[in-house]
Amino acid sequence: MDLKKTYIPRLDDIFGGGVPKGKSMLFQAMPGIMSDVFGYQIISERVHSDSEIGFIYTNTRMPVEIERVFDKYGWDLKTPLNSGQIFFIDSISGMMGVPPMGKYIIDDLANSAEIVLPAIEDIAGGTAVIENVATLIDSIGADNTIKCIKMLNGAAAKHEVNIIYLFTRWDYEDRLVEQLKNLVDCEVQLFSIEEKVMYRQVFMVVKSNWTRASNCKIFFELTEPGGVKVFIPKLLVTGPYNAGKTTFVHAITEKAVSVERQAFELFPTTVGLDIGHMDYKGFSADVFGTPGQERFDLLLEPLAREAIGTFIVIDSTKPDTFARAKEMINMCRAEALPKVIVANKHDLPGALGPDEIKKRMALWEDVSIIPVSARKKEGVDKALDTLFDLIYRV
Amino acid sequence: MIPKIKTGIAAFDDLTGGGLPDNTITLIYGPPKTGTSVFCYHFLQQAISDDEFCLYLMTDYNLFQLEEKMMQFNWFIHEYLQKEMLYVLDIASGSIGATQKETATFKISSPQNPTEMVSKIIEDLQSIYQKTHRFRSVLDSTTTLFSFNSPILIVRVLKSYVMRIKVAGGTGIIAYTEGAADSQIETMLKATVDNIIHLDGEKIDVEAMTGCDNVSANYKITDEGFCII
Repeated sequence: MDLKKTYIPRLDDIFGGGVPKGKSMLFQAMPGIMSDVFGYQIISERVHSDSEIGFIYTNTRMPVEIERVFDKYGWDLKTPLNSGQIFFIDSISGMMGVPPMGKYIIDDLANSAEIVLPAIEDIAGGTAVIENVATLIDSIGADNTIKCIKMLNGAAAKHEVNIIYLFTRWDYEDRLVEQLKNLVDCEVQLFSIEEKVMYRQVFMVVKSNWTRASNCKIFFELTEPGGVKVFIPKLLVTGPYNAGKTTFVHAITEKAVSVERQAFELFPTTVGLDIGHMDYKGFSADVFGTPGQERFDLLLEPLAREAIGTFIVIDSTKPDTFARAKEMINMCRAEALPKVIVANKHDLPGALGPDEIKKRMALWEDVSIIPVSARKKEGVDKALDTLFDLIYRV
Repeated sequence: MIPKIKTGIAAFDDLTGGGLPDNTITLIYGPPKTGTSVFCYHFLQQAISDDEFCLYLMTDYNLFQLEEKMMQFNWFIHEYLQKEMLYVLDIASGSIGATQKETATFKISSPQNPTEMVSKIIEDLQSIYQKTHRFRSVLDSTTTLFSFNSPILIVRVLKSYVMRIKVAGGTGIIAYTEGAADSQIETMLKATVDNIIHLDGEKIDVEAMTGCDNVSANYKITDEGFCII
C-alpha cells in the first residue's frame, strides 16, 4: 500500500507507516489544544519533503495569521505559497474587513462545499487541511456540515487527496461527534491530563480503517520552533533526604539504576539520580528519583518538565523533615501535577498516620497519603494505583 | 457564609455583603456606555490593592489603552505589571498584525479564533496555578467575540472558559453589551454564569447572586469611577 507520512512523531508508526492516498482524517481536539499545529505540520512537511501540493481552508485564522504561525514553528510557507504549491481558501478575511488572500475566497460559509470541491480537483494526489469544523457547524448547522464533509470526502477519495479536518470539540452533543467520526477514515483525539489546570497533552488514534487503532496515549508538547514533539512520560519520586526514595524507585520499577555512593555516612545516599522504567497496567513511564539534598535542587525543575505525576516520599517517623518535603513539592512545580504522598517507613515504631501527617504538613484537603513500607513492598501497589487514577481520571 | 471578593466599589460591596462570591463568575451587562468596562477596571484595581493575581482578557482595547483608561481614575498598573501579577491576553491586536512580543504574562490572540484564545488562557492558568489558587479574571468584553463569530459558538467557548477559571480557583467577571446577540443567546449566556449584574446608566441592579438578595442602587460615573448614590 502506498502510504503518505504525516511527519507527526509516533503517529506514522501507529498508522503502520502513514496514511493511504485519498483518506480522510479528523483531529478532534479538546478546547484549548491546538489541533491546527498538527494540520500545518503535516502539510508543511509533505510540501517540503515530498514536493506535494495542497491547500489550507480557513474560517478561523486569516491567512496572514497562519503565515505567522508557520514562522513561529519554523516552517517555510512563503516559498510554497509563491510557487503555488500551497494555496489558501479564505473564508475569514472578508468578515474581518481585511482583503482576502487566496486562490479561492468564500463570502458565505454556506457555499463552502461548492468552492472547496474544485480546489480538491486542483490538488489531486495532495493534502487538504480544513480548519475548523466547529465554526462550520455553528455557522451553517450540523446537518449542512455533515453534507459538506460527505461531498468533500467523496471528491478527496476520487482525486486521491488526503483531507484533514481540524475540529475543536466544544460542548457538542455526543451524537454529533459520533456522526463526524463515522464520516472519516481515521480519527485522532487530542486531549489533556489535568490537575485543576491542564498540564499535559496527549494524542490517541481512536479510529483507523487501514490499521488497528491502538488506543495508546502519546504525550506531546508543542515546541517553537519544531512543532509536535512527543515524549516518554516521567514519574518523579521526590522527597527529603533519607526518606527512602531510592528504595521506593526500586520497588516500583524493573532494574532501576542508582547513582549513589557509600559516603562517610551510615547509609548509602543518592547523589545523582535513580532511573528506572515501569510498565504498569498498560502504561509505560520512566521513573526518576531525585536526590534529596538541597545542593541538587537545580536538577528538579528540568526533571519536572516532562513529569506527569509525582510521588513525594516522606519518612513517617520524622515530622521535622515535612517542611522540606513541602518545599520540594514547590520546586518540582508539583502543585499542578497529580501527586501522592508516600508515607514511607510506616511499619517503624513512632510512624505517624496519614491524618496526623496531613495535619502536620498543613496540606490541602484532597491529597492522598498512602502508608508504605518500600523495603517490604507494602502499600506500593496502592500508591501506584492512586497516582494512576489521578492521572487518568479525565 | 460564602467568602466574598471585593469589587473595588466600596458602596456596592456594602450593599452585597462584601462583594462577589468567591470562586464564581459574574456577568456584568447593560446597554453601551453604561460603565461595564469601568466596573472591570475597579475589579482590576482591587486586585492590585489586595496583591492578588489577575488574568485580564481584552477584546477591544490593548494593554497600553488599558493603562491609559486606568490612569483616568488615578490607578496605575505599571508596578503591578512589573511584578508579573497581571496576565494579559490581548484579543484585540492579533488580527491587525500586532508587533509586540509575547511574554510570560502577555499574549496576543484574535477574536475569531476561540480555539487559540482558550489555549492561551489555559497556558496562563497553568502558570497562575503554580503561584496561587486564588485569583481574579476579567473578560472585557464578550461583545466583540459575538460580532466575529457565530453566537452559539461563543456560548460554547464561554462555558469552557467559565469552567476553566472556576476549577483553577478564580473569581471572574464577564462584560457584555446588551443587544449584541439575540435574546435566546442572552438567556444562554446568563445560564453559563453564577451571578448577574445589570447596569442601565443610572441603576446598578443585582439580578442574581449566590447567597445575596436582589438589590439595586443608583450610580453615576465620575473621576473616581463608580459612585453609588
